[in-house]
Amino acid sequence: MEAALKAIAEPRRRAILTLVRDGELSAGEIASHFDVTRPAVSQHLNVLKEAGLVNERRNGTRRLYRARPEGLVELRDFLEGFWDIRLDELKRQAEKEERKKHGRRN
Amino acid sequence: MDAATSTAVYERTLSIDASPDTVWEFFVDSEKLMRWKGIKADLDASPGGAYYCEVIPGHTARGEFVELDRPRRLVYTWGWDGNDKVPPGSSTIEVELTPEGDGTSLRFVHRDLPDAEQVASHAGGWDHYLSRLETAAAGGDPGVDPWVENAPSM
Repeated sequence: MEAALKAIAEPRRRAILTLVRDGELSAGEIASHFDVTRPAVSQHLNVLKEAGLVNERRNGTRRLYRARPEGLVELRDFLEGFWDIRLDELKRQAEKEERKKHGRRN
Repeated sequence: MDAATSTAVYERTLSIDASPDTVWEFFVDSEKLMRWKGIKADLDASPGGAYYCEVIPGHTARGEFVELDRPRRLVYTWGWDGNDKVPPGSSTIEVELTPEGDGTSLRFVHRDLPDAEQVASHAGGWDHYLSRLETAAAGGDPGVDPWVENAPSM
């Protein structure tokens, strides 16, 4: 999940993900949506691919990309971690508060 | 997962060494809520009262308090500002506090969340999950939280 977090930290990569969410696009088609060099887009696509957020398919000389559905499931699993982390923190804070309330007795 | 309802539930029970009343305050008091979640909070803890919590800059959760039975049961709705998949108030959080020795057993349920399949079939789902992920990432780094570092039990 570390790789996915780094991958989506960059706004342009989030935009690329949105582009290939509903259909397959070539690297060139993706690049045409952005005001950056083709190699820069290729690099973004590589990061997304390594993070498991897009699939790459070769068709002749073209490379086609689309969002990876399983990535969604992994995101969901990770999102459960959102509450796990917050609730662990709630526990720590509530226990700290309780100790403060009963400080004189300790 | 029930395909007919197509919603997901997050559920967890944990034991806390603090009284139900102490734990309760961390859900209804803005200042205490911010100790474990968010950078800005404004809570009107009464039935129909507004729940507002900016979790990280630009990501704000909004909902409404539904049921408050201090210090036993709390129900409020939840969603994200500017998100059409989980809009403010669209999902429900239920908190149940049960005395357990000198402490509390907390049951936390977040229901009516869209499941992955449903999200995948809707435009905006990716955007939603990506922003949620960012939120989680921002909240997930224990290194940035001085409260944790200072906790005597650590």
